[in-house]
Order: sequence, then structure tokens, then C-alpha cells
Amino acid sequence: MTTAQIIFLVVAAVTLVSAFMVVTTRNLIHAALWLVATLFGVAVTYALLNANFLAVVQVVVYIGAIAILFIFAVMLTRKEMRDQGPQLNSAWWISALLAVLTFGGLVGMLWGWKGMDTLASEMPVGFDSVSALGDALISPNAFVLPFEVASVLLLAALVGAVYVAFNPRSGDSRK
Amino acid sequence: MATPTTTATLDLAARFPGAVSADARPGYKGWIVEKDKLIEVATAIRDEFGYDHLTAVTGVDYLPEGKMEVVYHAFKTTGGPVLTFKVQVPRVDPVEVPSVTSIWPGAEFQEREAWDLLGVKFTNHPDLRRILLWEGFEGHPLRKDWKEAFYEEDAKPFKSRWPEGKHVMAEEKNPFKDNINFPKDFDPEQWVPEGEAALYGALARYQVQEGSLKTDHIVINMGPQHPSTHGVFRAAVTVDGETVVSLKPVMGYLHRNHDKIGERNTFLQNMPFTDRLDYFNSMSNNFGYAVAVEKLMNIQVAERAEYIRVIMAELSRIQNHLVFIGMLGNDLGMMYTPALYAFEERELILDIFEAVSGSRMMCNYYRFGGVVRDLPEGVLEKIKGLVFERLPVKADELDRMLTENEVFVARMKGVKVIDAENAIRYSITGPVLRAAGVPYDIRRADPYSIYDRFDFDIPTRPNGDLMDNYLLRLDEIRQSLRILQQAVKQIPEGPVMTGKPQYQVRVPAGESYGRVESPKGELAFYVVSNGKPNPFRYHVRPPSFVNITALEKMCVGTKIADFIAILGVIDIVLGELDR
Amino acid sequence: MDWTIWVEWLIKSLFVVFALLTGFAYLTLYERRALAKIQVRIGPNRAGWQGLLQPVADAVKLIFKEELTPAKADKLVFFWAPIITMVPSIVIAAVIPFGPTTTLFGRTIVFSVANINVGVLFLMAVASIAVYGIVLAGWSSNNKYAMLGGLRSSAQMISYELSLGLGFVTAILLGNSMNLHDIVDAQRNVWFAVVQPVGALIFMIVTLAEVNRAPFDMPEAEQELTAGYHSEYSGMKFALFFMAEYQKMIAISMIAATLFFGGYREFWFLKDTFLSVDAIWNIGPWQFQAWFLGPIYMLLKVVVLLFFMIWIRATWPRIRYDRLMSFGWKVLLPLSLAVVFISAVGVLVAQQFDNNWYLAIIPIFSSVAGLVAVGFVDQALRRKSYASH
Repeated sequence: MTTAQIIFLVVAAVTLVSAFMVVTTRNLIHAALWLVATLFGVAVTYALLNANFLAVVQVVVYIGAIAILFIFAVMLTRKEMRDQGPQLNSAWWISALLAVLTFGGLVGMLWGWKGMDTLASEMPVGFDSVSALGDALISPNAFVLPFEVASVLLLAALVGAVYVAFNPRSGDSRK
Repeated sequence: MATPTTTATLDLAARFPGAVSADARPGYKGWIVEKDKLIEVATAIRDEFGYDHLTAVTGVDYLPEGKMEVVYHAFKTTGGPVLTFKVQVPRVDPVEVPSVTSIWPGAEFQEREAWDLLGVKFTNHPDLRRILLWEGFEGHPLRKDWKEAFYEEDAKPFKSRWPEGKHVMAEEKNPFKDNINFPKDFDPEQWVPEGEAALYGALARYQVQEGSLKTDHIVINMGPQHPSTHGVFRAAVTVDGETVVSLKPVMGYLHRNHDKIGERNTFLQNMPFTDRLDYFNSMSNNFGYAVAVEKLMNIQVAERAEYIRVIMAELSRIQNHLVFIGMLGNDLGMMYTPALYAFEERELILDIFEAVSGSRMMCNYYRFGGVVRDLPEGVLEKIKGLVFERLPVKADELDRMLTENEVFVARMKGVKVIDAENAIRYSITGPVLRAAGVPYDIRRADPYSIYDRFDFDIPTRPNGDLMDNYLLRLDEIRQSLRILQQAVKQIPEGPVMTGKPQYQVRVPAGESYGRVESPKGELAFYVVSNGKPNPFRYHVRPPSFVNITALEKMCVGTKIADFIAILGVIDIVLGELDR
Repeated sequence: MDWTIWVEWLIKSLFVVFALLTGFAYLTLYERRALAKIQVRIGPNRAGWQGLLQPVADAVKLIFKEELTPAKADKLVFFWAPIITMVPSIVIAAVIPFGPTTTLFGRTIVFSVANINVGVLFLMAVASIAVYGIVLAGWSSNNKYAMLGGLRSSAQMISYELSLGLGFVTAILLGNSMNLHDIVDAQRNVWFAVVQPVGALIFMIVTLAEVNRAPFDMPEAEQELTAGYHSEYSGMKFALFFMAEYQKMIAISMIAATLFFGGYREFWFLKDTFLSVDAIWNIGPWQFQAWFLGPIYMLLKVVVLLFFMIWIRATWPRIRYDRLMSFGWKVLLPLSLAVVFISAVGVLVAQQFDNNWYLAIIPIFSSVAGLVAVGFVDQALRRKSYASH
């Protein structure tokens, strides 16, 4: 086993365990922190795949922005940090079935993929994945349309959030 | 408010026949109002006679006569002498007097104090709780039949504590064998302060505005241990995010019942005791007490001593305002830089206090009829150097450093403290009142000592925001320098005391209300003598305590950071606030 | 991978950690002495010559102080929060270059712990983690002041991170790379602070907010929140917060120096002299590149930038929280967007005409944008004054 493989196994284990903890722990802040650990594990996995840019973006966006907003929201809204209710509802077996089916489907798909047992080719020296990604995102031949559509969607969400929080009577909600 | 009719000879008895009678006791002035007619008479006093500023409310327990008296001192903000009116009620519990807070809201805290210390129940008071003492305290200590735990005798000087050379432990004389007198069935370990629940109840409850986002409020206790409450002051604050929704000041952590100790002391022993009120300005405190007692004794102050008194009082004002400006910078988060610049100058003024009195802060310098000793050699030259050369330059320097600091100005401008009308209603005095645009300064409105001889202005500022409060202090420093420049030029030679210095002064029976413009506002002493060596009643009307009455009014709706700044510009000192 | 690369990494990491830790200790002394000078005082001068042993004395005191944990605190999070604050403040320095790439002992040495092609984004990522320590400390202390401090800081840091990111983008555009070595090399002729003065200024303001320094020290506003998020911390745990704050100051000064002030490169007037980091020195039989000047120039720049932070702390009051947020969202964010746009246009025009003089439109237009923003702020402040609440 190479060093990279050992690191991968450890990271994957940590990621899975934290993901499990996210859904089982009863303390909301702790759950959010386990989520951060999960996201960090994914970032390390990206780094192991030589996807530096994606790894760093994973940290910036998911850990630095989204998870912190989770924590922020939990801190702001709940006095009682412990969730007392039952953790399973009556439909738990449906979700379990769906999860198993999805997992099985993925495994089955990857089983037949020939990329599974061929080694990835070494990247050429000096290959700049960042500019390749940048080109792909804004080149008209590649993904410019979905990229722009996504940005419009985000803008719409932003406007919606402002509208929800806006108090029409006082005009300006904060003095 | 109706236009005040300024009658030269005010005759309340003629206006309210049967309800008001003149106070005929020897040495007493003013009017005695029937309890049931108080509200009617007080409304007339405010609206018809124009006494819009109810300055002091206190009580006296006349145990021998079996009466409890509540004394009100009202003034006009346009100037003029005092109007004293009193309510006498039988000394049988419950002692009930109608509250005048509906007419002068500024009476709120002073009525609470009278309830706390004298047990006068003010009916229709909005929030009658103990204010200086802790909830659960037994009795009302300013009543003449109340005795403290370490009670020895009624009046000083006490008999020897070492009779025949044998030491007697104070604890052995203590009837309670402890220094706190608990009520029966009281267990301090199990006790939960009821006042806390009442206090939080007094704060506005959780409210949801319709149509807006639902937000939760939290209650924060600012203090008593807090870096910027200027001592052990505490404010229970409800905040919505950063905005103050409601606020209740809590005080008394430094309470020592100054009034009661003052009644045990002889007249002269109170002089050093006043130093401890506003410990930044012991000179002004001495001044106020000396003025009050001299009025009772009816003596003239030596000419040279008058000048020395004015010089010391004005120097004290300058150093107080320097500290104020410096610490205001600190309250805004300026990391001590202006404070240290201001303290550099203050040290020079304290050097002068040390040279004349022997102490930098607890000066104990004034005596009835003069001051304790003449200026030592060279001190007058030092003062001249300060007031002609150094301080004017340094005041300008401080002005430039802060007034041209953009961030400082952005924090200060437009943050309203209080407007003129409310400032008068809430009995506010001193710089906060003048910054709201009311030119009311006792040195001009009701001159004492020799202030009528000097040429100076009463600075005012129009807006009553934080910036105006700060700028007004600078203006006052400059006006004080003007007074000082005239005083050091005009000061005559001569004795500094009328009569011989004596330990025991003879004070005729009567009452007097002596007030001075201390740097923080009106500092007044209400002294009642019955001809004995000790004052029968000794009441301090501290400016900090009365000015803080309007704190809630000032702060609701502002941001937490502004609350700190507003508390800073009121310029409280816990020594006199809690006394 | 041979073993020498591990040795190289080890030495470089030790150097960076050592620089940050001693730098932190002496930064406290530097700050206290500088503040004292500004405030007409003397400052600590008793422990050792000129007070040089004062940091040691402070450290000993803090180590032996009792550590208290509040009874109802979340013990685990309370324990981890100072560590989570401390680690990013050191890790962030990993990508900062200290000197030019050179050849030593027959090896090509790159003077940064990790020379990665997304260095700028790495800074961004680590900076975004730093907020966790403060939020968690504030939450776990079970104290209202700490909670308010934590909330304030998370809102503040998230808001200012946007402008910080746009500041990074400006440097990336001008340097045409995300690698910090390339960005420094691109400033060989002229600093980016000259090309994009407004961007540099915004960056400096935003960094003050990111490290919670005056006048943006909301989270620990002593006068309002006693000590904010670290109200309940004492002893060594408090010391970790303290260390993190000062290390962040150093790190952020290094980043500012790297992105806008030429990093390890010599000052412009030393270009092509023997004091340039590219100069080859011939001393006797030895011939070598003057790479060791790199860290020295870096240190000089960092010391100057740190002095500005201290100076601001000594002279300015804290900005009120609501104004801080409006400033971040309503002034800095639009202005930095404008600055990024102007920079991009300038770079594009210069590329199109292949003449670097066209870059001059960047400082001109961005200065105009900056002045417009200042005008807006001034007007808003004027309007606010005397409008009673």
C-alpha cells in the first residue's frame, strides 16, 4: 500500500464516521461540527485526487460559508440546544431502502466502468488545472450556459431572501 | 406649560387658603402643604408660578414631634431663589404621601430613596422599590429610632472606647452579634432576591412586532462588574440584537448611608466626609457643605478665602472635565490615549491641591468661614502659570485631537442624549442640561460665594447629542479658565478665616439648603440643625444620582455602544451616586 | 520522494512556526512600547534590557494562572475553541513566500512551506476557518457577553470576507496567477499598491476587520461586552486566543506585503543594485545569490504594516456595530467590485495594445471610484447627524 492509499483510507473512514455522527448526535451544535469534519474529509479527498482548486473551494464555500451559517442560525434560533424528540419517524424504512438502492446502483454502475481498474495517467508537468477549469466554465463551447443559469438562480434566491426579510411597513427594517 | 407668572412675593398661602400655611418654626422657611392637596398645589407651583425644576426631594424624621416631613425644593430654570414646600404626615406606618412623579418625573429616584431610607410610601409612584439598599433589608435606616448593627451612641464624639484603659470589642456591644440584622425566619443561604424578579418584570417583556421578523430579546446585566460602568453601577438591559429595548439602573453596591453617618458626626467632622462623595472633586463637595452650614450659622466668609475657594472649585472643574473627556474616549474604545493626555494636565492641578491641602484627592480644605490654611508660597505663581499659559494651550490641543478625529465625530454626532424639555422635566442639572440648550448654571442663576463678581459666560449647545455634551465640557474648561484668570489677578491679601478655627461650631437651630454648581451638576446639602453639635438631618443631593433618573429615557432605542457613551457623558461617580 | 525533501519541509516549517511564535511574543512588546510612546508613557522596560524579557515573564505568568471552566459550559467545545483559533493563524503562513527561488546545496529551494498553484485561495480558505474558534468560544462559554461577541464576530468576519476575497482577486488579476511566488515576481518593477492604490487600501481596512483589530474590535469590545468571546477564558487557554490574534496580525501583514507591497522583493529604489534579491554576490571564492535579503525585506515591510495597526488602535475609537456592517456591505463591497472591474479592464486593455502604460488607467479610475465612495460616506454621515433617533 502506498502512502496515498493509507491516507485515503483514514480520511474516508473519518468522513464516514463523522457523517454518521451528524445524523445521530442530539446536540445541534455538535451535529454542525461533525458536518464540518465530514466536509473537511471531502476536501482532503479532493486534494488526494490532485484537484487542488476544488479542495480549496470546498473549504472556502462549504466550511467557511455554509457550515458557519448553519452554526450561526442554530445559535440564533434555539435556546435549547438538545433535540429531545425521537430520531426516527415511521417512514425510516423507506429512506433506508432508498439509501441501499442508491448505493447498490452506484456500485453496480462503477463495477462495469473500465476506469475502475486502469491507472489514471500522470498529469503533464506544469498542467494548470485552474485555468482549464476557468476556460471550461466560461467558454461558449463548454459550460457557460449552466454556469450563468446557476448564477441567475442564486440571484433569484438572494432577492427572495431579501423580500422575505423586508418589512414593508417600516420601509427600512433596521434603523 | 403655561407661561410662568413671575410674582416677586410669592404667597402660596393666599393662593391656596386652608391648604398651604407658612412654615413658622424659627430658622425655617417655605410652606407646609396639606397632604391631600399636594398634587393640586404642586401642579400650580409648576404651571402658575413657573417652578419647572424640582431639584430635591427628601424627608426628615421629626421623632420628638411624631411627624414625618417630606421636603421639596423647586427652582425656576430662568434663575431665582428656592421655593421650599413641605408635607407633614403623622409618623404612623404606613406613612403615605402622594407621589409628584406625574408632575416632575425627575422625582422618581429621589422618592424611591426616601422610601428606602425613611419609609415614606409614595402613592401612585410608578416603580416604588428600594433603590440603595438590598431587597430584604429590615427597616428604614434614616428613621431616628433605627439603630445600626454596630450601634454605639447617637452622636459623636463617642465616649472612650477604652474605658479605664480596657479595650471593648465592638462585637460585644452589638445586640445582633453580627454586623447584619436579618429579619426573623430569614436564611441568607436560601434567600432569592425578590427585587430581581421585580426588576426584570419592570423591563419590557418579549414583544413581537407584527409583520416583521420574529426576534428574541435577551437580558444582559451590565455590571456591577463591568469595565465601563464607571464603578459598581449596574444596568439591567434588554436588547434586541444590538438595540436597547428597555433598561433599569440598579445601584447601591457602594452604599454606606452617608446621611446617617453624617447625622452621627459633628458639623466639622462631616467636612472630610464630603470628600468621599464625588472623589474627583472633593473641593466642590467641601464648597457645597460649607455654603449650606454657613447659611445656617449666618457668618461671612473672609474675602481672601472666597477667592481661594473659587480658584480651587474652578480648578477642580477643569480637572473633572479633563478626566471626563479622556474617559469618554476610553468608553468609545480609544485605548486610553486621550485619557492619558488629559491625566497629564490633571496631575498638575492635583499638585496644587496637594500643596494647599496636603492631599491630592481627599482635600478637606474648606472650613466654615474660610479655608483651613493660606496658599503656601509659590502656589499662586504656579496657578498663574497653569491658567495663563499651559491649560489654554492644552485645552486647544485636546480639542484638535478629538474634534477633528473623523471616527470620533461619527460616533458622537447625532446620537441624542436628551432634549431641553425632557432634561428639565427629569430634574437634570449641570453640563447635560446645558448641552441640551438650557442656560442654567447656579453660579449665574442663584449666585453663591463671589461668582457675581466675575465675567464669564454660561456656554450652551443646541442639539443635546453626545458631541454637544463633549464640546460643552471643553467650553466650560475655557470659561473656568476665564474665571481663574480674573480670580488670580484680583485675589486680595488678608486672613483666610473669619473668627478662630474651632473644632466645635455653634449652629443655631433651623434648616438650610446650600447648593453649588459642581462639575457634574447641582450639588446640594440640606442640613437641619436643632442647636446641638451634630446635624439633626444631613442630606446630600448628588448630581449623578438625580441625572441618572432619565437614563432609561435616554437609552431606549439606541445601540448598546451608544448606551455606554451616554452613561459616559452623564459623568456619574459611584461615590456620590450610591453614597 | 527522497528523504531530503522531508528535511527541507521540516526546516521550512520550523522556520515559519518559530518566526510566528517569537514574532507574536515580541509583537506584544512592540505594541506596548509603541502605544506607550504615543501615549506619553514609557511602557514595559524593566524585565531585561529595554523590556526584552517582558514576553517571557508574561508567558510564565499565563502558564501558571488557574484555568477556569464555567460550570454550564460545553466542556468539549470550550476546550477545543482556542485550539481551533490558534491552528489557522499558523497554517495560513504556509504558502507565503519568504525569498526568491534559488539553488542551495545543489537543490532548487522554494522559500515557502508549500508552493501550490492556488496559494491565494488557500489563504482565503484558512481565513474562513478562523471564524470558527471565535464563534465556538462564544457559544460554549454559556455567557451572554461571550455569546454576543461570538455572534458579532461571525457576522462581521463573514461580511468582510467578501471584500477580502475581492482584494485577493485584484492581486490575482494584476499578477495573472494564483501562485504567490508569481504574484511577487510580477511586482518586480512596480508594486501593486501603486497600480491599484484603492484596492490596497480596501485590503488593509478589511484585514483590520478580519483580525478583529481596532477600530473593528467588536467581538471583544471591552467597553461593551467586557471581553466578548474570551470573557470566560483564563490562563493558557486565554493565551492561545491572544497568540492567535497577534499571529493573525503578523500573517495578515505578510499577506498584505506579498500581495500589494512586493513581498520579499527589494524596495523599488534598490532594483538592480547589489541589494536586490536577484543580485549575485561575489565574496572571495564564493559566488551566491543574495536570497537571504528576502526575509529581511519581508520583515521590514511587516514591521511597518504592523505599526500602522498599532497606530490606528491608539488613535481611533471603535466604530459602532451597525455602522460597521453598513460600511462593509454598502461601501466596501460595491467599491471592491468596482475596483475589480476597473483592474480587469485595465489589464485587458494593456494586453490588447501590448503596452503596460495602459495600466495607468487602473489607478486613475479606481481613485475616482474611491473618492466617490468617500463622498457617499460623508454625505450619509452628515444626513445621520442631527436626525434624532
